Amino acid sequence: MNKLLAVIRREYLQRVRTKFFVVMTVLGPLMLVVFTIVPGLLFSMKTGDTRIAIVDQTEGTKLYDSIRNSLLNREREDQDNQQPSIAETANSNSVQRMEKAGKSMTGSFRVEQVKPNGRALDEIKRELNARIGRDELDGYLVIPPDILSNSESKPSYYGRNVGDVITSEQIKDRLNSAVRRQRLIQQGVKDQDVDTLSKSVGVATYPVNEKGEEGAEDSGAGFAMVFIVAFLIYISVLLYGQVVLGAIIEEKETRIAEILFSSVRPFQIMFGKLIGVSLMALTQLLIWAVAFGAVALYVVPAMAARGFKDINLPHLPPFFFVYFFLFFVLGYFIYATVYVLVGSMVTTTQEGGQMAMPVVFMLMAGLYMAFPVIRAPNSSFAVWVSMVPFFAPITMLVRIISQTPPFWQIALSLVIGFGTVVLLLWLASRIYRIGMLMYGKKATIPEVMRWVRQA
Amino acid sequence: MTNNLPTVSIDHITKSFGEFTAVSDLSLAVYPGRVFGLLGPNGAGKTTTIRMIVNITAPDSGRIEVFGSQITPELQDRIGYLPEERGLYKKMKVGDQLKFFAALKNVPAKEAAKRVDHWLARLKLTEWKNKKASELSKGMQQKVQFITAITHEPELLILDEPFSGLDPVNVEVLKEIILELKVAGKTIIFSTHQMEVAEKICDDICLINRSRKVLQGSIREVKRAFSRNAVALRLQGGESVLEDRSLISKAQRDSDGIEVLLAAGATSQELLKHLIAAGATIERFEMIEPSLHDIFIEKVTENV
Repeated sequence: MNKLLAVIRREYLQRVRTKFFVVMTVLGPLMLVVFTIVPGLLFSMKTGDTRIAIVDQTEGTKLYDSIRNSLLNREREDQDNQQPSIAETANSNSVQRMEKAGKSMTGSFRVEQVKPNGRALDEIKRELNARIGRDELDGYLVIPPDILSNSESKPSYYGRNVGDVITSEQIKDRLNSAVRRQRLIQQGVKDQDVDTLSKSVGVATYPVNEKGEEGAEDSGAGFAMVFIVAFLIYISVLLYGQVVLGAIIEEKETRIAEILFSSVRPFQIMFGKLIGVSLMALTQLLIWAVAFGAVALYVVPAMAARGFKDINLPHLPPFFFVYFFLFFVLGYFIYATVYVLVGSMVTTTQEGGQMAMPVVFMLMAGLYMAFPVIRAPNSSFAVWVSMVPFFAPITMLVRIISQTPPFWQIALSLVIGFGTVVLLLWLASRIYRIGMLMYGKKATIPEVMRWVRQA
Repeated sequence: MTNNLPTVSIDHITKSFGEFTAVSDLSLAVYPGRVFGLLGPNGAGKTTTIRMIVNITAPDSGRIEVFGSQITPELQDRIGYLPEERGLYKKMKVGDQLKFFAALKNVPAKEAAKRVDHWLARLKLTEWKNKKASELSKGMQQKVQFITAITHEPELLILDEPFSGLDPVNVEVLKEIILELKVAGKTIIFSTHQMEVAEKICDDICLINRSRKVLQGSIREVKRAFSRNAVALRLQGGESVLEDRSLISKAQRDSDGIEVLLAAGATSQELLKHLIAAGATIERFEMIEPSLHDIFIEKVTENV
């Protein structure tokens, strides 16, 4: 027992004192932000104005002013469309989500009118295409003459970069509202009534839990939370699994295992190592949790007092943290034990990395399954994948956050999971105690099978 | 030999790895207060035998007793082991490292700290205590490794090639410590293929080759058994005596004199008498024992 403690102590203290730990503790949350928010941000970032020409073929170019206003004066309409509800967000695919995000981003336009002046459309288009070619223009809209009377009539957009879905989406959206507006006016609706009548309807979303209690309005932070938690489990299990792999291979490469085995039972070393690294992981998560709590308690109210009212941290019930702890520990022990197994079979870190690939894929599969599970947390698919030990740490947690399943399902998932851990520990310890003393070459599967069978 | 019970007694052990037999039907006994040399060429089975003694692996058949009973993890605390393949945690400070290995042998923390300081000073490593192992030279790492094997004051010390890679000064320091431990009544098993070293340190030896024991006994006994009745001479005159085939079967001259092999039935006393009678001036007259090196070569090559 003293020896086990000595192994745990060394493992923990040596790792917590490293620069890697300090750097990860500070950078971890930053990376999380970077991975979740920045891609969308980068995608919607656009430098400079979009230069658009409008060829309005309607009689008396009635639409030009309306479209121009709509494009330049974007705030009014877009404000209404902002804040997608969670259901809407969760149901959108990622491109749609990106587009929605894009709408709230600034993208400004410079608009010019191209008067036909009796010229043929082909001629005008040739000229405009040439200007786009010379990079004097980013794109142009062609408004057909019958747009206001014929509901099937479609404007066309010609542009250099039609792959920029955010800008195209903005143009489409604003063109739509301009045309709609003009049509309404033509039908005799008063100018000042148009805005009130065509205002889009927002849907307020409220969660109802299994006890039938209503929660506070959900503004989409719930979805973000599910994603963040899934990602956090994924990245930390992966990270600390690799730490364990590194530790195992170090002791094998440097032959320290031989001295260790002459003093301590192999199982105690292996188990001590797993626990030591898990304590390091939990220390890190605790630091993050405390930091998050501090932000929620002090920074958010302070920001709110300065006028940033929209910051909406999701409310997590305390039992969630218990589940997070349990499923993190489960995920960690499943994957870290597999890493021990892999580490004692290989001879170098590179080989270890290759052998560990299937393990990483399993974990990634769990992360990808989180998406269908968020959409239908109680579907039979979700129930099954949250029972599979290799996926449960992510999928069951996702279910718990999005729509808490019956307790027996959570309990069953944990029992299956920890049963698997015991089985894996047994298997790994048999491979470990022999593999760690085998130098020179990677173990083959039949060899490993023989080690397992050996008493 | 002593009357004491053996510290280690190995009884007909065999160990195979798949098709390959590493140790076959080996028996030996190691007594307290003696240095036991486990000798043999590379791949003979020395390391496998040692691993079985320290309970890292178990024999397929046969029995090993240490301190009078079958080895258990508790008994491991009374054994010190310096493996052939050295290993230290590269990024851990030397002092912390030594204290960790002592803790694994159940040495209380305070006591361990004291002993670590003592041994670091003795091996002139005190200033390296707070350095990471990776900053040490190979020789220094080896000395640190040696300390890990002795901080828990083991009754049985097993050293697998302890001198390889050390400079002569450090070899002397280590030898001195080993002999002190022997005098203090500890049992030492010493594995090497460097015969010159074994010859100077060991009391008893066991030579194994290709998984089998080929020779065993105290150094004296072994040498006597291999004595070839050779005499080293440096003379002036007396050449005629050297030609006498009833006395000398073979004479070999080298820069330092003549080495002769006595003929069957002849004794060194007779040779001396004849030389004096022949009026030779004798500068050197010495019975030569075969070196362990010669015995090793002879036994190992004859078995091939």
